[in-house]
Amino acid sequence: MRIRRLTVDYGTALLILCSLGFILPRLLPGDPFLAIYGEEALLNMTPETKAAIISSLSLDKPLGEQFAAYWLALLRGDLGWSYFFQAPVLSVIGAFLPWSLLLSGSALVLSTLAGFIAGVESGARRGSRFDNFSFTGLMALGGIPDFFIGALLLLAFAVHWPLFPLGGAVTAYGGKSGWALGADVLRHLALPLASLFAVRLASVYLLTRATVVGLLGSPFIRTARAKGCSAAAIRYRHIGRAALLPIATTAGLHLAHLFAGVLMVEILFGYPGMGALFGKALSARDYPLLQGILLVGTLTVLATNFLVDSLYPILDARVRKTCTSATKQQ
Amino acid sequence: MLQIDKLSVLFGRQAVLKDISLQVRPGETLAVIGESGAGKTTLALSVLGLASGARTGSILLDGRELVGRGEEDLRTLRGRELAIVLQSGGEVLHPLVTILDQVAEAVTVHFPVSRDAARAKAGRMLADMGLRAGRQNEYPHRLSGGERQRALLAMALVNNPRLVVLDEPTAALDPRSKAEICALLKTRLADKAALLITHDLGAAAAVADRVAVLYAGRILESGPCRDVFAAPRHPYTRALLRAYPDMGNPKDLQRIPGRTVRNAPGCPFHPRCTQKTAVCAERVPELKPGGADGRAVACHRGGIIPCLEVTGLGKSFDSTPVLTDIDITLYEGETLALVGESGSGKTTLARTLMGLLPADAGQVVLEGNTGIPRKQFYEYIQMVFQNPGEMLSHRLTVREIVREPLDVHGRGSAAEREALVLKTLAEVELPADEDFLGRYPHQISGGEAQRVAVARSLVLAPKIIIADEVTSALDAGAQASVVRLLLELQERRGLALLFITHDLALARKVSDRVIVLQQGRIVESGPSGQVFAAPRHAYTRALLDAIPRVYGY
Repeated sequence: MRIRRLTVDYGTALLILCSLGFILPRLLPGDPFLAIYGEEALLNMTPETKAAIISSLSLDKPLGEQFAAYWLALLRGDLGWSYFFQAPVLSVIGAFLPWSLLLSGSALVLSTLAGFIAGVESGARRGSRFDNFSFTGLMALGGIPDFFIGALLLLAFAVHWPLFPLGGAVTAYGGKSGWALGADVLRHLALPLASLFAVRLASVYLLTRATVVGLLGSPFIRTARAKGCSAAAIRYRHIGRAALLPIATTAGLHLAHLFAGVLMVEILFGYPGMGALFGKALSARDYPLLQGILLVGTLTVLATNFLVDSLYPILDARVRKTCTSATKQQ
Repeated sequence: MLQIDKLSVLFGRQAVLKDISLQVRPGETLAVIGESGAGKTTLALSVLGLASGARTGSILLDGRELVGRGEEDLRTLRGRELAIVLQSGGEVLHPLVTILDQVAEAVTVHFPVSRDAARAKAGRMLADMGLRAGRQNEYPHRLSGGERQRALLAMALVNNPRLVVLDEPTAALDPRSKAEICALLKTRLADKAALLITHDLGAAAAVADRVAVLYAGRILESGPCRDVFAAPRHPYTRALLRAYPDMGNPKDLQRIPGRTVRNAPGCPFHPRCTQKTAVCAERVPELKPGGADGRAVACHRGGIIPCLEVTGLGKSFDSTPVLTDIDITLYEGETLALVGESGSGKTTLARTLMGLLPADAGQVVLEGNTGIPRKQFYEYIQMVFQNPGEMLSHRLTVREIVREPLDVHGRGSAAEREALVLKTLAEVELPADEDFLGRYPHQISGGEAQRVAVARSLVLAPKIIIADEVTSALDAGAQASVVRLLLELQERRGLALLFITHDLALARKVSDRVIVLQQGRIVESGPSGQVFAAPRHAYTRALLDAIPRVYGY
């Protein structure tokens, strides 16, 4: 029941968002061709290419047919032609996306895990020296923008003490394979990951700590103590368990921010991910590519929200109840 | 067995529990009753070391000292040897875990058993508590209050502990769930030592063997449950019972005057007590055992004092006995109803008590004293008569009527007397303006006249008022307001009322105890609830059957 409702909700959102990609260029004053491809691309285009594009987008047809053509293309995976890379947008994105997923995915997982544990430990021992120290430290860390931390890390560990490479995702023409390649990838990943991790860590930590402190006075904590549960069991099985829900919610919400953070950090470290691609597309005014990147971003955010929404009932039985009763009423 | 000795718990500088000494033997349930803020929950939590306050004194469980034991050490005892059923409500159960798993956790925490074995054990215990298998895999929010209470009980009992502490296990339950939980507790706690913390006197009576009354962190009274509830010795215990609506007590609910004063010097209850003396504010009364009956009371005055003790009173008119062998004890702050038909000797008894008629035999003792001089006697005991129209002199104004006793006893200066007259009139809710003060009895209504009579009897601040058919001449409205007034004075001043009436329906509403008089003899006496609900003597039944009923049922 719930899954069906979620699917309908997200399907609708997806339809609307994709359609916006069609509608927006046509809402702009002037030629939709211009709006889609931009003036500079036009200058570099031969009349033949232009004609091919116009016919492929059905720009010479009525609006209804244009819409149908747009959707057909989308369904085929045709996001347009990147004239900067001289390749289909989809394959360009396909080359860059995995690096971004590696960077932001590991940043998300590691920071959530570490922030959660630090938050639980800190909150459960509120007022202790450990708590005061980590609270102050991470609060300060959370206030610094990720690209600034990135710049500092870069200066310190790649320039001053060249422990890590300056940029990139792998050593170009290194000819490595197997374990060596893996180690090389990790070495390149370390600094951008550290700067994303640091900022995300603070926000997860602060949220977890606040949630845990709020839960400390809950009657069920006293029940757990009365049962004879150990301090660690109370911290994780009882408090931590109850704190998971808000953490999951904000982790989902933060993904959009992480996406933005990734852009800056990738540009800074020259990491060949979506951020770097976005930067290139922007400076080259490669509109189809930009649109494609935004579409992928939107899809990522939608997908994570969907994931978090599907997680809710597993994390909290009370959500299960409200959802089924709401569906029953319908 | 649990032995608590001189336990005090301090939160900062605030002592929440002071010198608590209690014993609970195996197989015994001790109820600790009291109002919110008395320290009940702190006591419950302190036993397990779950209260955050600092403990001093000693808590022995089977000879092992619990105070000062390390947290890790206590942890291994909690849930295994001493368990607590925490106050239900809010999220006392983890909202995200099924009941079965929560009960099973209590097993796995202490014993190296598999998860499945623990679940099986938890399932059996839950079933024993009346939670069938289909409900055991539910989350707390899907259970009713009664089911949650059963789950908490199962969690406490699953490891078969020696001592169980229960904190308000019946709070917020509907009557049927409450009755079921009480019955369950009665059987389940039979082989354990149990400490039942509750403000629900009914639950305490249903489950406990003994009871201790907690007030402002101190125990004021303890004893066998049945005895303490039937005949409370401490004024606070009685006040608590009077404030509790019970099917067996037909008297109107009565407030406990004043409010709890924290850290009052001396007896904690003295700011609200109506029989306090100077020593009550100075020294803390010890909880003294009162003999072989297992009862103890912490009161400098030895408990509620008997104001009036009459033994073997007899009176004859021309060798016709009118009163024979009358024994009456009237306690401070209680209403004793004296009922019987006309000619049963009620008024004669009142007049003999007041010394208006000489007694032929017997003794009248006032607060332990005999042979009190007449004048002093009337400062202690006053009477309000049947017909205010006849009782009040029609030659005196309202002011003069109320002031006369002060004049007779030579109390204070003229100004003080005047002030006292005004204050007393205000107390009986009469106007104290010049117009009213200057009126004569025939110029005021019957209800007002009766209030003037009450004011007159109150102005000397007596401890006892004998009210002889004080409302029989009044309509129901005026009667209700005079009766309410007397009961309020009882709450405020601890007035003892000997309420003489032939109206049993009225007696039922105002009295704590009742005496039935037939032809000058006491044929039945006892707590009002018992006498009116289950009269033993045929004469009492006849009197009750004769009452016409408005509602026909």
